[in-house]
Amino acid sequence: MGSVQTATRPGVSLDADKPVLIIDDVYKTFGDAEEAVTAVDHVSFDVKPGEFVAVIGPSGCGKSTLFNIIGGMLGEYGGDVRIDGERIAGPHPAVGMVFQEESTFPWRSVIDNVAFPLELRGVAKSERYDRARHFIGMVGLDGFEKRYPSQLSGGMKQRVSIARTLVSNPRILLMDEPFAALDEQTRLLLGDKITQIQQELKQTTLLITHNLTEAVQLSDRIVVMTYRPGKVKRIADIDLARPRTSDVVGSDAFGRHVADIWNDLREEASRGMQESEQVARADRRRG
Amino acid sequence: MAATGALTMAAPVPRKVRERRETRQVFYVRLVVIFAFVAVWEFLSRSGWFFADIIPSLVSIAQALFRLLVNPAFWANLQVTLLEAAAALCIGTFAGVVIGILLGANRFLGAAFEPYLYYFSPTPRIILFPIMIMWFGVGLASKIALGALASFFAVALSTAAGMRQIDKVIIRVGRSFRATPWQMATKIYLPAMRIPVLTGIRLGLGNALITVLLAETKLSNQGLGYMVNTIYQRFDIPTLYALLIIVFIIAGACNAVLGYVARRAR
Repeated sequence: MGSVQTATRPGVSLDADKPVLIIDDVYKTFGDAEEAVTAVDHVSFDVKPGEFVAVIGPSGCGKSTLFNIIGGMLGEYGGDVRIDGERIAGPHPAVGMVFQEESTFPWRSVIDNVAFPLELRGVAKSERYDRARHFIGMVGLDGFEKRYPSQLSGGMKQRVSIARTLVSNPRILLMDEPFAALDEQTRLLLGDKITQIQQELKQTTLLITHNLTEAVQLSDRIVVMTYRPGKVKRIADIDLARPRTSDVVGSDAFGRHVADIWNDLREEASRGMQESEQVARADRRRG
Repeated sequence: MAATGALTMAAPVPRKVRERRETRQVFYVRLVVIFAFVAVWEFLSRSGWFFADIIPSLVSIAQALFRLLVNPAFWANLQVTLLEAAAALCIGTFAGVVIGILLGANRFLGAAFEPYLYYFSPTPRIILFPIMIMWFGVGLASKIALGALASFFAVALSTAAGMRQIDKVIIRVGRSFRATPWQMATKIYLPAMRIPVLTGIRLGLGNALITVLLAETKLSNQGLGYMVNTIYQRFDIPTLYALLIIVFIIAGACNAVLGYVARRAR
């Protein structure tokens, strides 16, 4: 574990401080040796039980790559991602993923969507419906059990996806910009829902996002990533009191945290913007 | 409307009403088209501008239709044709789904073999009929083989396309929940491509019916196609039209059933 970069203890005190998830010197390049692009560059941090950690960075900082590595979707990478000392090399039962894209099954009703992981495990129908109903209620979709995804709004579909992942009882909830496609108000309200659920279940969560307010609203700690190659720039503690609601966005402390992280992020984001503009110009010259 | 119901229902209701009104109007237009067609037909038939045999009066067609429906030979022939088409569609669908999945799942196989399917699929299968007769004889088997071939292409091509169009994130969801290969196939891939597969089967049904009927008119001693031939040789035009109406209804009914299944699957 030598090089694990452990930040100062988070403001919330947790009795079990032994990390559930350790990201240790993780490294990933894409492409051939000569034209290799480093997506994730020796990233280290960890997540403790019950903690909500956000990874934030500009587009092109390798956050999605990191999401895929932790979710076991990318088998080959350098360094270690460990859960209980076990190195991740494929989808791990302790990790529940929520994807950025709309990912409900359109041919299944809400309850059958949510019960899907239990169905795979061969849980009897009545029991899996009971458990599915519990989580459908938790994400605030009671009464919609029999509806199909095509009858739901974008925000409701993402809540179905979240319930579907929660029903599999993951020790780590891993989410990749689950609200990216939603409008700001829906996002704030869903943030409330997430905070509620996280506090109710003491759900350890790792959220990948590019949204500053979302990260500060939800997190205990924020890992700020640099633009390509993606390194850890800083790990910030968010000591806003819990239980939290979206009202927190009006507070001075919230503003200070946002400003503080934006300070680090601005440089990276503008670097990303300049580079993509250069690429666009070069493309235009080439015709 | 009660206040509680209005909360969720208020917005959609006017649109639904408008849609219902539109559906009703469409229905009326369709009725008018049928009546206009029948009226023009009867008018032309009575006008004396054509030989009575070319545009027979509706009364004689109706009489012919009635004679057909009480004729046991008609029912026997109908049964033969439906049996051939159903067997052809089953064989063609099974082979088409299997081959389509292979081509859709494996990029190399798809690139290597799909052009053949693509370019061969619009060629009229009936030119292969003599070969099918050599292989399978003059009985039902040669018509089934030809019909199966006809439906195979539509099913295989749309299955392969459907396989490639599956939303990748849905496959990732299956993997993230660690579904077994069998679970991936039955709970992710097949349901995810149900609509293109059903569309392929619908097209395949049309192809199978056409091909089977056509083959029967070429060489056979039973089936509706055979009946069409013999009726035509007697120049019994009202019965010919009556038979056409029946084939229309059968094709329409089969299509409606598959369309209903496809809508339910959505």
